[in-house]
Amino acid sequence: MPAASIWEEDMSIVARRIRLAGAAFTALAGVAALTACSSSSSPGSTSDAASCKPAGGTVTLQYWNTVPGMDQIVALWNQKNPTIKVEIKNVSNDQYGQIGNALKAGTAPELAQVGYDELANLRIQDAFVDASACTDATAAKDKFVPWTWSQTSFGGTGVFAMPQDTGPMALFVRSDIFQKHGVAIPKTWDEYAAAAQKLHAADPNLTITFFDPNNAEWFNGLLWQNSARMYQYADNKWQVTVDSTQSQQVAEYWQKLIAAKLVRTDLANTSPPMYAAYEKNQVATYVGAAWAYGMFRDNLPKQAGEWTIVPMPTWGSNPASGDWGGSTVAFMKGNKHLYESVKFNVWLNSDPEAVALENKQGLYPASLAGLQLPALSAGVPYYDNEKIFDVFADSSKNIDTNFAWGPTQKTVNLALQDAMAKAAAGNGTLRDALKAAQDKALSSMKDQAIPAVAG
Amino acid sequence: MTTHPAREGRRLRGGGPRGGTVVAFLTPFFLPFALFYLVPVGYALWQSFRVIRRTGGQFGHAYTTFGGFDQYAQVFRNSEFGASLGRVALFGIVQVPVMLFVALIMALLLDTPLLRIKSFFRIAAFMPYAVPGVIAAIMWSFLYSPQLSPIVDLLNGIGLRPDFLGPGAVLWSAANISTWLWTGYNMLIMFSALQSIPQELYEAAKIDGASNWAVAWRIKVPIIAPSIILTTVFSIIGTLQLYAEPAVLRQISSNISSTFTPNMLAYAVASGNNYQQAAAISVTIAVITFVLSFGFMKLTAKRAGL
Repeated sequence: MPAASIWEEDMSIVARRIRLAGAAFTALAGVAALTACSSSSSPGSTSDAASCKPAGGTVTLQYWNTVPGMDQIVALWNQKNPTIKVEIKNVSNDQYGQIGNALKAGTAPELAQVGYDELANLRIQDAFVDASACTDATAAKDKFVPWTWSQTSFGGTGVFAMPQDTGPMALFVRSDIFQKHGVAIPKTWDEYAAAAQKLHAADPNLTITFFDPNNAEWFNGLLWQNSARMYQYADNKWQVTVDSTQSQQVAEYWQKLIAAKLVRTDLANTSPPMYAAYEKNQVATYVGAAWAYGMFRDNLPKQAGEWTIVPMPTWGSNPASGDWGGSTVAFMKGNKHLYESVKFNVWLNSDPEAVALENKQGLYPASLAGLQLPALSAGVPYYDNEKIFDVFADSSKNIDTNFAWGPTQKTVNLALQDAMAKAAAGNGTLRDALKAAQDKALSSMKDQAIPAVAG
Repeated sequence: MTTHPAREGRRLRGGGPRGGTVVAFLTPFFLPFALFYLVPVGYALWQSFRVIRRTGGQFGHAYTTFGGFDQYAQVFRNSEFGASLGRVALFGIVQVPVMLFVALIMALLLDTPLLRIKSFFRIAAFMPYAVPGVIAAIMWSFLYSPQLSPIVDLLNGIGLRPDFLGPGAVLWSAANISTWLWTGYNMLIMFSALQSIPQELYEAAKIDGASNWAVAWRIKVPIIAPSIILTTVFSIIGTLQLYAEPAVLRQISSNISSTFTPNMLAYAVASGNNYQQAAAISVTIAVITFVLSFGFMKLTAKRAGL
């Protein structure tokens, strides 16, 4: 899902957590409640090998999602397909908590919305069923942008989910500020650093962008762009390469900008203070993703016409880009109607009519048909009628297909964030943060008996 | 005489029609208490002695098995746990005395005849407690933010550049929110204790020539000592379970880590699917809380004449 409302989302999460976290005894009860339904399955149980036979007659599928307006899209399907009835439930509030609890209780839906970075975690929790027995599922490969398919198949031949939306990255630029100070819009990261210097020299209150140490998802997108692979699959083990040479290059680059105070580190992404800083013209660019195009339009309407969107600055001449956010619709364990689930899932995420409706809700499509939508080839008024989506479409096509998320990604992200925050406060460097994340990746996997080695 | 002990015993055992009444009155309490308190606590305890094992390689299947004190050993090896405890300890050593001292002064002031419109002050001081903790923390986070805060603007205007969210200050910014939230509540507990002191004591003191000052420190404070101890125990528990204030401030300040307090650490570990370790952390926090609060009560019980 787009991270456009992280602030609001986190607030509701916080509110919920607070209810959980009462007295220490209550906290204990909270943890117990979370675990209350977990079952200890015996070693050797398998859940793979699914068959793909039509049920015959009418079936009903449950589909849990976080997309606003999904009821309209599903109504369209139900109207066209009376024998495959889809029922939806919005799980925006505590998506993974609800999914996790349902899995443990054996009441998971047939289909559920899962972010790319959560797929590996859920797969090692035995959450998915492989739909590759259905020819419609394997044939869908050509309908999606290549990197998204490699995520849902874990680089193998299984089909565990259909890609839904994506967050190909691009650079959002206040062209008026660049023009005012006579600085050219950067095309490479070297030019970007030079521009950072010029802008800050011209106006000491101005920085080229902000570095949010509490946003590992964003930083991971930057690593992805530089072909850094956080994990690799080999020898039936997780090869942990969080702290790779390519990652270190990205870390050192931002460390220099932070040390020289050319980027500020006091703004949290999508927080009210962040918008206030942009409103006061204190920040000149935003290293963002496709779903963010509406953020500035909706929060800073007065800056219409002052923004433009250009491709991510590149490392040398490599046009590679990265992804930040987006999600899939996964085939959940216990699914007894795989054939029908595949039919619906493929339609939902690649049929032009369905994808157009999702795009109206702000989702940037993962399907190739979606990238061709009329709405995505038109100019956008806020951005001076530029065809900004061409930039995102190119970005998506240039995303490394070999990037992989880890099974304890959330824990690794927290460790990375905590260490990046220390670096931003002058205590250590971003290189140290990568090392901390690498160590946490290995130790958190060891704690859960997941076979892993430093790659 | 021989029947007397038997009658006594029957009453204790609660037999007869009276026993049914007791059960009827206690069930509404004990049933939810067992279901939502004892059972989860017991389950967490059980979880904390389990470890995860796995078969089948990279995407293998998990199961849990008995692990003895493995999870607890890990809690004590975890430097983040120690750091988070140290943080709340520092917080408590400073914030709890400050808050309770202010609460005591306010309660004593409310109790003097000197102060007019008492009910107004009582309500005003109690008001922050009516604000939910999360809302209070969000409100204060706006007052701390250099981008949005009128207070920061004002201080900037006179040449001060405070950084309420900086690495050194953020713990005290959280402490300030707690103090704002809870001082009125603690004041009210102390104030109601003051209200129950018989007027004759004051009259006697007056006749003996005691000043208002002497009445406050020599009569009122010793008499309400049990209330002060009670609020201290509540505050110790509250400090160890600190969560809302730092969790909200974390939304705008990266200087609060995901493991800032013991409860935040437990939550972070649970959200990473390591429920067994999270359970062990929670049990450890509970034991520490238990020891500290009962230790404090034991320590002060005699002196307060409890």
